[in-house]
Amino acid sequence: MTHFLGKLLLSATCWMVRIAPLILFGLVWHLVCSAQLVNKDFLPSPLAVAAAFVDLFSSGEIATNLTITLFRAAVGLLLGAGCGVWIGVMMARSRHFREYVTPIVGGTYSLPKSALIPLFALWFGIGNLTAIAAVFLACLLPMVVNTYHGVLTTPKVLVWSAEALGTRERELWPRVFIRNALPDIFTGLRIALGFSFVLAISAEMIASTNGIGKLIFMYGENGTYDYMFAAICCVVIVAFFSDRALLVVTRRVLVWHESGAFERERPRP
Amino acid sequence: MLDLDRPKIEIRGVSKTYASERGPVLALRGTDLTVNEGEFVSIVGPSGCGKSTLLYVVGGFLAADGDVIIDGSPVQGPGTDRGVVFQEYALFPWLTVHDNIRYGLERQRVAASERDKIVDRLVNVIGLSGFENRYPRELSGGMKQRVAIARTLACDPAILLLDEPFGALDAQTREIMQDELLRIWLETRKTVLLVTHDVTEAVYLSNRICVMSARPGQIIEEFVVALDRSCSREELVISEPFNSTRNKVWLSVRRQALAAGKQE
Repeated sequence: MTHFLGKLLLSATCWMVRIAPLILFGLVWHLVCSAQLVNKDFLPSPLAVAAAFVDLFSSGEIATNLTITLFRAAVGLLLGAGCGVWIGVMMARSRHFREYVTPIVGGTYSLPKSALIPLFALWFGIGNLTAIAAVFLACLLPMVVNTYHGVLTTPKVLVWSAEALGTRERELWPRVFIRNALPDIFTGLRIALGFSFVLAISAEMIASTNGIGKLIFMYGENGTYDYMFAAICCVVIVAFFSDRALLVVTRRVLVWHESGAFERERPRP
Repeated sequence: MLDLDRPKIEIRGVSKTYASERGPVLALRGTDLTVNEGEFVSIVGPSGCGKSTLLYVVGGFLAADGDVIIDGSPVQGPGTDRGVVFQEYALFPWLTVHDNIRYGLERQRVAASERDKIVDRLVNVIGLSGFENRYPRELSGGMKQRVAIARTLACDPAILLLDEPFGALDAQTREIMQDELLRIWLETRKTVLLVTHDVTEAVYLSNRICVMSARPGQIIEEFVVALDRSCSREELVISEPFNSTRNKVWLSVRRQALAAGKQE
């Protein structure tokens, strides 16, 4: 019993230590505001933001808009990830396909996808389709590049071993190449997840009548910065927890991989 | 059943050229070698002489000029009649010990009940019971190589192709593994082609040793090893026949290594 309590206390302490920088950040923010170092119209105090957050939450405004944003981000992410893996595999499989796709990937890789949102708005109108298209495109490229890399770095001896053990050429893809690419695919997925939030919200700020992005933009325009900050905080929280959730899934799927081992076998303080 | 005079592997005039940034490199030049059924043949030679390349050609992994004939028919590609063990283990990192050993049996559609029996037996043979559900990253080098050998033996190939299988192991583990391999070979009498740079290992394990020249590789000298396998490792290694054979092979390899050094 005492052992259990001790463990609980230890984990609580660990947790406190980990969030200490955040508390310190909030404290500095509060001091800056209460000392009136800045105009409080431009930087609302953390307490005002918290109050706005509670208000947004209880009125249901957050829930409605968050659902819309998450729907757009998720659909774009899933489509982008699916197509990205497919394109990455095809690039590794076929020389013709690779030669055709490589310049397009290279050309669009560093293009900020948000620059295309006004164009998408023109094509797809205001709302879901524009946001989903922007998320899709942003998620596509990290998936393509990482999948391709993962397949390409499959050790020759693994392929040879599989062949000598009776694996037919078609079976090599699901049994060796894609398995070997999985750690890279999950790296791509983590990057894509971040992009999905960025692009969904950017698209909503430019071309939408609803969603968290629209909420942020609207409160910013009105100058109600406490509400704007509250909406931003909400995005930060959701994005943080979805990233954690993806990490948990990754660790489950990649138990066999070295990176998973490192995370779990790290000595605890 | 076992016909020691029947050629199992015939390598006839095999040449292999690699493309490199500085132009084509001739790795093998007109190599000939015949391995009879049940024979244990080692190929030794200086590093970079193309001995591994020759093994990959026999495995069907690399295309080359010339012919490789197994049981009278030419090699078209990799096949389950030739089991391979690589220096870098080449276990599937995403499969457990059990699933790695079972992999080939599944591909060859061996019945499930039969499969489990074979896997269980081999796990015991390699002394890894209790480790069935571990992933390769959780194993030591010696354990990984045991699993790799078990995975190959599970499919019961007539030929074993071993590419410096113990090269990455420490000296003690290497000797234990050599003894295990020797025991397996004496029991099953498979045809074995072993590539190694360790002359002592070659003499300890093989019936016949082929020395390869510096690049472009060719088999330039052969030594028949006639040792009494019934005595222990300790007796054998200090015996006169063992050492005289080893010295002869070593001098031959040494000449090639020096020649390779001059080429550089």
